[in-house]
Amino acid sequence: MSRFKLFLFIGALFCVPVLSQAQTRSIISNLANPAIGMSALFLGQAAPNLNQPYGIQFQEAELSVISTVDPYWTLAANLVFAADPTNGVPDIVEAEEAYATTDSIPNIQIKVGQMRTTFGKHGLLHTHAFPFIQAPIIMGNTIGFEGFKDAGLEAAWLTPLPWYCELTGGMYAPVSNDINGQGNHPLDFNSNAHDNIPYLGHLKNLFDLDDNTTMELGASALTGMGDDSLHHQVLGADFTVRNVPLNQSNQRGWILQAEYLKKVSFNSAVYNQETDGWYGSFQYRLSQNWWTGIRGEEAFNATPDLSVDPTENSLTGHVQRATVDVAWLASEFSEMRLDYSLARNDAGTVDNRVMLQFNYVIGFHPPHSY
Amino acid sequence: MKYAKAWILLLLSWTLTLPAFADLKVATSLSDLASVAEAVGGKHVSVISLCKGYEDPHFVPAKPSLMKAIQDADIFVSVGLELDGGWLPLVIPGSRNPKIQPGSKGFVDASEGISVLDKPVGTVSRAEGDIHPLGNPHYYADPMNLTIVADHLADVFSDLDPANAADYSANAKDFDGRMEKELKKWEKELKPYKGSPVVTYHENFKYFTKRFGLKDFGTVEPKPGIPPSPRYLDETAAAMKEAGVKVVLYQPYYDADTAQQLARKAGATAYLIPNEVGGVDEAKDVFSKFDYIVSTLAKAFGGK
Repeated sequence: MSRFKLFLFIGALFCVPVLSQAQTRSIISNLANPAIGMSALFLGQAAPNLNQPYGIQFQEAELSVISTVDPYWTLAANLVFAADPTNGVPDIVEAEEAYATTDSIPNIQIKVGQMRTTFGKHGLLHTHAFPFIQAPIIMGNTIGFEGFKDAGLEAAWLTPLPWYCELTGGMYAPVSNDINGQGNHPLDFNSNAHDNIPYLGHLKNLFDLDDNTTMELGASALTGMGDDSLHHQVLGADFTVRNVPLNQSNQRGWILQAEYLKKVSFNSAVYNQETDGWYGSFQYRLSQNWWTGIRGEEAFNATPDLSVDPTENSLTGHVQRATVDVAWLASEFSEMRLDYSLARNDAGTVDNRVMLQFNYVIGFHPPHSY
Repeated sequence: MKYAKAWILLLLSWTLTLPAFADLKVATSLSDLASVAEAVGGKHVSVISLCKGYEDPHFVPAKPSLMKAIQDADIFVSVGLELDGGWLPLVIPGSRNPKIQPGSKGFVDASEGISVLDKPVGTVSRAEGDIHPLGNPHYYADPMNLTIVADHLADVFSDLDPANAADYSANAKDFDGRMEKELKKWEKELKPYKGSPVVTYHENFKYFTKRFGLKDFGTVEPKPGIPPSPRYLDETAAAMKEAGVKVVLYQPYYDADTAQQLARKAGATAYLIPNEVGGVDEAKDVFSKFDYIVSTLAKAFGGK
């Protein structure tokens, strides 16, 4: 009998750590973890007039997380790992976006944090969602190739008008740096005085022309002070007609889009139109797997394309560029794209580029806006 | 005085032309859910579906006009199981309507209570195509699953509009009764073809084949969301020939040429059937949708 008790006692001792381990595991729950995804871009570029080696390079990878915080807020973040454009070394990590949104207020969405601000049309896109491999030249010369990214607060009001009419207002922190912290952001909101907060206004109208076709008209304005005591302002207008046959929504469709941006600086005595430019593009979906597109653009007083050409060999001044693109989507989650662009400026300098981009997505990826 | 009369008349005529205001404004992601909501809600609800019946529910363009359409909705009914997960995460927050955000009383996941098929076991990988990690979301292809949806909606409607709860409950009961009666008719019509094999474009017909005892032979697409290669079509056609499969089914939003090409190669026939209400003109509600599917299949298997 005593041996049996001893056996039970020893057996119970063995069970204690097992129970303890099970309880320890159960108090750490991963059930409410955020949705996680990653996209990665690899780019091969052959550009005869750039001092860059040919070959495939790492362009960027973006780690996205999103989750509801509580019944009132949702938090999203995009952390970007990118190659340094000056040497191609993938050593840049940036909190490109980290913002909270709330939909608890009728008709108004509030967004607060580090964000890609609601300016224009192309400026809303992440790099992997660009319709062509390169951003239009005028983007880099005004709000930044990937749009104006800054910390701040935005409120977007869906008006009660019969069509989709959204009015957005935003206020941000004065910035001077580009996304790589290199101190050359084209907006030059460099002042640190108390009254120098940049403001944004954006109006978006969308009309259904029929079941398959929509027309969008947008206008944007972003204004702030620079350390040169001048107001710096970017104005934009965009126009998009998009056709998606509803019974072939992942097989056919086309997008006709144009956007104009202008950057000025001024005070009571001075008015400088620093740069302006436009692009017009047409994209056509041939099938579930194939897209093609063509884009024409023009930029006045263009500045060097530092994000792809640290040697500043790209074209300056009055530049015109044409691009053709063909993309093959093996599935919704991978894409290969071949672009050819030809640019020239008034000085007669020509820039030819052939680019091949590989685009991959894993995990959860939020749907792209329409 | 003359002007006052004119104003009164004008006001009166304007008032008379105003639409009747429903007690509940209901929006759904899928036309089948809208059809059930109309049956359950009756005169007390106005209903819209964001996805048309001839539109692929996986790939609805998240147009801002859809956000506008649900800006004032009281209830949003999602099909759930991530079928609408490619576009709803834009449309629902974009509506700026706190009443229908996930977690609120007005957001309904219609898949609650459904016995879900094809739940992945083990690790979920996109090597298997664009699979649904929560299981096959096309449960509305089984008529009896719609009775579960109807009962669920009656509860939600009653909760948000208690004054008309008795009507919602009675309407759901009527809907369930009619569906059970119609099901017996459909089962009788397809009984001679029990065990007959079909090839479908996508795995969106499994709940139907299970209910009516048909055999899923395969799909036109090799994996969910992946278009077929010529080689895959050849191999599938050869297998269909060997097994004597004579029926290929596709929906209006899939590539008809590919479905017909496979059928030709296999010596079969491709039939257009609506998986959702509105997929063809005859499918005006869930009952006429199943009428159309059943009669098409009976003709197909009967060789008529």
